[in-house]
Amino acid sequence: MTDPGRAGLRRAPSRYLWFTLRFDRLSARALPRGRAAAVAGAAAAVGLVLAPFVLFTAVWALVVGVTRWPEDVLPSPSAVARAFGEVFAKGILTVYAGETIRRIVLAAVTGVAIGIAAGFVMGLNDWIAALLNPPLRFFQSLSGIAWLPLFLIWFGFSDKTIIVAVWYTLVFPVAFNTMLGVRTVPRLYRYAVLTLGGTWRQIVFQVLLPGAIPYIVGGVRLGIAYGWRALIAAEIVVGSGGLGYLIFKAETFHLTARIIAGMTAIGVLWYLTDYFLLRPLEEATIERWGLVYR
Amino acid sequence: MGTGLPVAAPRAERPAASRPRRIVGAAMALGRGAVSFGALFAVWYALTAHGWVRPMALASPAAVASVLVDGVRDRTLLGHLGVSLSRLVISMVVAGAAGIVLGVLVGISRHLALIVEPLAGFFNALSGIVWLPLAITWFGLTWKTVLFVIGNAIFFTVFFNTLVGVRGVPRLYEQAILTLGASRWRTLRDVLLPGALPGIVAGIRLGLGFGWRALIAAELVAVTQGLGFMIFSAANYLRTDIILAGILVIGGVAVAMDSLILVPIERATVVRWGLYH
Repeated sequence: MTDPGRAGLRRAPSRYLWFTLRFDRLSARALPRGRAAAVAGAAAAVGLVLAPFVLFTAVWALVVGVTRWPEDVLPSPSAVARAFGEVFAKGILTVYAGETIRRIVLAAVTGVAIGIAAGFVMGLNDWIAALLNPPLRFFQSLSGIAWLPLFLIWFGFSDKTIIVAVWYTLVFPVAFNTMLGVRTVPRLYRYAVLTLGGTWRQIVFQVLLPGAIPYIVGGVRLGIAYGWRALIAAEIVVGSGGLGYLIFKAETFHLTARIIAGMTAIGVLWYLTDYFLLRPLEEATIERWGLVYR
Repeated sequence: MGTGLPVAAPRAERPAASRPRRIVGAAMALGRGAVSFGALFAVWYALTAHGWVRPMALASPAAVASVLVDGVRDRTLLGHLGVSLSRLVISMVVAGAAGIVLGVLVGISRHLALIVEPLAGFFNALSGIVWLPLAITWFGLTWKTVLFVIGNAIFFTVFFNTLVGVRGVPRLYEQAILTLGASRWRTLRDVLLPGALPGIVAGIRLGLGFGWRALIAAELVAVTQGLGFMIFSAANYLRTDIILAGILVIGGVAVAMDSLILVPIERATVVRWGLYH
């Protein structure tokens, strides 16, 4: 990671850091000499990323034009765009997307906190880790969706069922990665701090947490990726609002264009979250702690 | 790292212990597992045996065991299991092969990568269950819908892991064999494919995990056979014994796939050749 664009990175105001990182990365290919060149380079890079999507849409339009399949089998890109405009204008999209986002944020914030706490307990105490490891492995390999019928009986067709299913998928990767991260910090550091009269509080917050951060962030990213899929699946099955429900409901009315519009919304939402939030977060911590893998 | 996709991290090797120590270690691990699962079982038993929880909310271990035994005896459970497994195997063979082929192609061609990678990244974010409504419009409530959804989940996982595997092969090896006069095909066969094997095996392993999850989710909604259907239809009648039996089987299959099939494959190929880099 020695490209010239990185030099100014650390001085960037922290709340813009993720965005700066992202565009910085895009423009890095063009070796920016001046501001104009950097802007042109970024534009070219964005174009390079978008071009395949344009090509894909063109091929799709061509296929529809040639085969003339009925609209409820494969709608044209323009029909999907119209459906998108329609759900947006009626306010359905905003409400349902809002539901989905609210759920993932709620589940992610609480689930990550639980996972990190559990990971720390297991990372610090070998006995607890050894005891909890086998059942946790079993439950992890069992998807949250398999529990959905039971959650439905316990919590009904409600928000609670969905949130619990997302939690279930999200907590394990976070907990296991945190545990791994805590364990990678050499014990010597702990002993050193203790010998110097440090408290456990200091060890946790000033030694273990910083040391484990790259792993924790990796776990969070993986956990949210799993949780997002579980969320969509749970919304399809439970059916109380959200983008998953939107596309599943559209299927019963054969509104194929609306299904694809909803899928696009789901994909774009995830892509943006990953590209602008999770990945820069991971890269920033990995880079900061010198764990560059490339 | 850094691809943003479910790619397995390389594992550190432990130094080999002597035989008696290994046996003691294995026994200890088994003992710890027995303790923790035993505690879990005791809690479950206590909750149900004393009537603290109604059977409608949580069936007793005995009820679940009898569902399992009956299901095996009258073949219903075995039937659902067989249907689910065959769906997984078929989609693994088709989608896994496609993922490996495309992963290798994109790994060796920079031009192809420019087009395919952004698209694949987007569709990976969309993979699996999100396709269910569209798959239902295309294929109806049939096994084809389930195969499409599982295949979708498997394909992208295998594809990206293969890609990372191919890219992880140092260019120097490729150039060395080319300098020695090897053909492009020999580079592929003798350098790139073996070098990418850890990635490919990791992809198949993760893909089976993802595929199994997607399979259960798809079966909940789309079909009238299979383990997912079994537990979801049991929920309508509040039969928590059937649900829990199904959950145990689903989890058991996931664990068995990993420890009985994939770990030995890995040991026989990747680990033996010392290919973890």
